[in-house]
Amino acid sequence: MTWVTWRQYRLQAVIGGAVLAAFAAIMLITGFQMAAQWHTVLAGCTANGTCGSLQQGSFSLGGVLGHDFAILSLLAPALFGALVGAPLIATELEARTSDFAWAQSITRTRWLAVKIGWILLAAAVWGGVIAALVTWWSGPRNAAFGNAFQSNYFDQQGIVPIGYSVFATALGIAAGAVIRRTIPAVAVVIGGFIGMRLWVSQDLRMHFMSPVTTYFGAAANFNPPAGSIQVGGGLVDKLGHLVTAPAGAGPLSTVGIDGVPATALPAVCQKLIPASAGGPAGPANGTVNAVMSCLQKAGYRQFISYQPMSRYWAFQGIETGIYLAVAAALVGLAFYAVLRRDA
Amino acid sequence: MTWVVWRQYRGQAAIAAGLLAALAILLVVTGVRVASQWHSALAACVPARSCGNLANTLFLGSHAVGFLVIMTLGVPAVLGILLGAPLLAHEFETGTHQYAWTQSVTRRRWLVAKAGWLLLAAAVIGGIVSALVTWWSGPNNALQANAFQPGRFDIMGIVPVGYAVFAVALGIAAGALVRRTIPAIAVTLAGFIAVRMAVFGGLRAHFLTPVTSYFPISRGITVGSAWQLATGYVGANGQPIGIPLSTNGPVLGTAAGGIPVTSLPGSCQAFASGASGPFTPAAQNAVLSCAQAHGVRAFVTYQPASRYWAFQGIETGIFVLLAAVLIAVTFAVVSRRDA
Repeated sequence: MTWVTWRQYRLQAVIGGAVLAAFAAIMLITGFQMAAQWHTVLAGCTANGTCGSLQQGSFSLGGVLGHDFAILSLLAPALFGALVGAPLIATELEARTSDFAWAQSITRTRWLAVKIGWILLAAAVWGGVIAALVTWWSGPRNAAFGNAFQSNYFDQQGIVPIGYSVFATALGIAAGAVIRRTIPAVAVVIGGFIGMRLWVSQDLRMHFMSPVTTYFGAAANFNPPAGSIQVGGGLVDKLGHLVTAPAGAGPLSTVGIDGVPATALPAVCQKLIPASAGGPAGPANGTVNAVMSCLQKAGYRQFISYQPMSRYWAFQGIETGIYLAVAAALVGLAFYAVLRRDA
Repeated sequence: MTWVVWRQYRGQAAIAAGLLAALAILLVVTGVRVASQWHSALAACVPARSCGNLANTLFLGSHAVGFLVIMTLGVPAVLGILLGAPLLAHEFETGTHQYAWTQSVTRRRWLVAKAGWLLLAAAVIGGIVSALVTWWSGPNNALQANAFQPGRFDIMGIVPVGYAVFAVALGIAAGALVRRTIPAIAVTLAGFIAVRMAVFGGLRAHFLTPVTSYFPISRGITVGSAWQLATGYVGANGQPIGIPLSTNGPVLGTAAGGIPVTSLPGSCQAFASGASGPFTPAAQNAVLSCAQAHGVRAFVTYQPASRYWAFQGIETGIFVLLAAVLIAVTFAVVSRRDA
């Protein structure tokens, strides 16, 4: 069966290999250019002793081409799922070649297991090679901007693209087995892949682990470790209750902290709110700092909730695990649909 | 033939109508909320005179819907893959073209009806999605002044109609040439992305000659809703001053960024002699006025916001023209082919 699978997919394997080689060439060429830029910037700021205050935007890293292809790599799993996964069973059923395959000496289970096994392995290699190239390419940008944990960058690097790729392919296989027509299966891959990716990245990801919450004085400053993702924050009063907007408060009557309306603060501090920050009748020359000091005296504290950068690989592992588990369920569905079907 | 096309595509038409309706409901409901958020923010910032700062403090809408709006970039490609590519390829693959071509309808009329209705459907779907996105983005366009920026420009106005027609025409032509559905899908996707990237990355900035404005280095300039292409400095001779990527010497801070002192005329560098770290304000001013006296100016190259619709028209025209060429190729291939 391995030989049959190879015969069926050798053209696709050659095309896939050529696409990967072209992608590798683009990422390596632009990546070495970017690494050289980054070393120049680092050499300059080391000599000046200003590396601590490198500003995003004060130097550029990488050209448009490499950046465009790094973003396009987000599509690579869906591409594999639509072009290789969806037709795997659907085209056999549509063209009735399954009748021939299933009348051979090989059991249907083995036929399916070998085809699916090799193709899922190929999907993992496809996702892994692309992710390895993009991760290497992004090295200087991750170091300079500390944004590897941010949405969209997290999704291009590390091991998650392997999970996406295996999932998209399993989705295509299962959709083809259930719907039994290629084009609708392709549509299911596109819709299902985008839907699943949006749901996990926008809704689930920040809840993989409970965020770390740090409290600090109302007049103090606190920055989470570089690269962390802030998921919440606010102001609590002396008793630790969250200060929230009373119903009907205008969205702009805040003092420096998002969502905290002037009217929710103690009267003595309210009087200090400058008119420019939405104070009702504050002094024209007042400052937000004065308000914050007043709040600190009244026992108010700020807090920030965040996912620390140190959890990056834990999150990569959890997200990859989710996609692999869903892929396993989809493969199970494909086996079920194929095995209970009459030839 | 129109009836045949309808029979072949009524399932797809129902699905497309359902998806469009869902998108319309989502964007209208959230769009009304965005609009009221925008109006209350405006009403509050006018008396406080803080409207100038609004772009930094106000976030309109939600991340999830904003993301979905950006993802409409993919709608034309999906139309090309699911409607365009199978149009001929699937007929060839299953041999149904032999049946279709032996009826009383000529091959040409068969193709005109199928391709014509599908291209019209692509234009309508692209137009509806774009109209919804354009309306939804109205407050954000006003707030961020970014409708002309790459990425935003591509999901609003009339260009999505051009992209959709082009993608479907590409799918039809790929199906006629490759005659197998999955390879036709791959060609459509690769071709669409390649042409979009070439026009967007290479051509668009040169549709019309950009405007370059010069201004004193002590004064900042904003181009508003215009599409900024480049900024930099020129010397008295009008030649751009090369800015090294990184410098070990002092940097003259200007309203338009920073300029290394070593890039300035020699006589100005003297004012900065001895300064290795940050300038003193006096030295900064001395270098600044010396540079201005030597004719050093900042420049910005941009496409003015008033050209927005001209650019939309040109880009749509390019894609519709490419679509016409692809359809002509399809007709040539199909007419020449033995049944």
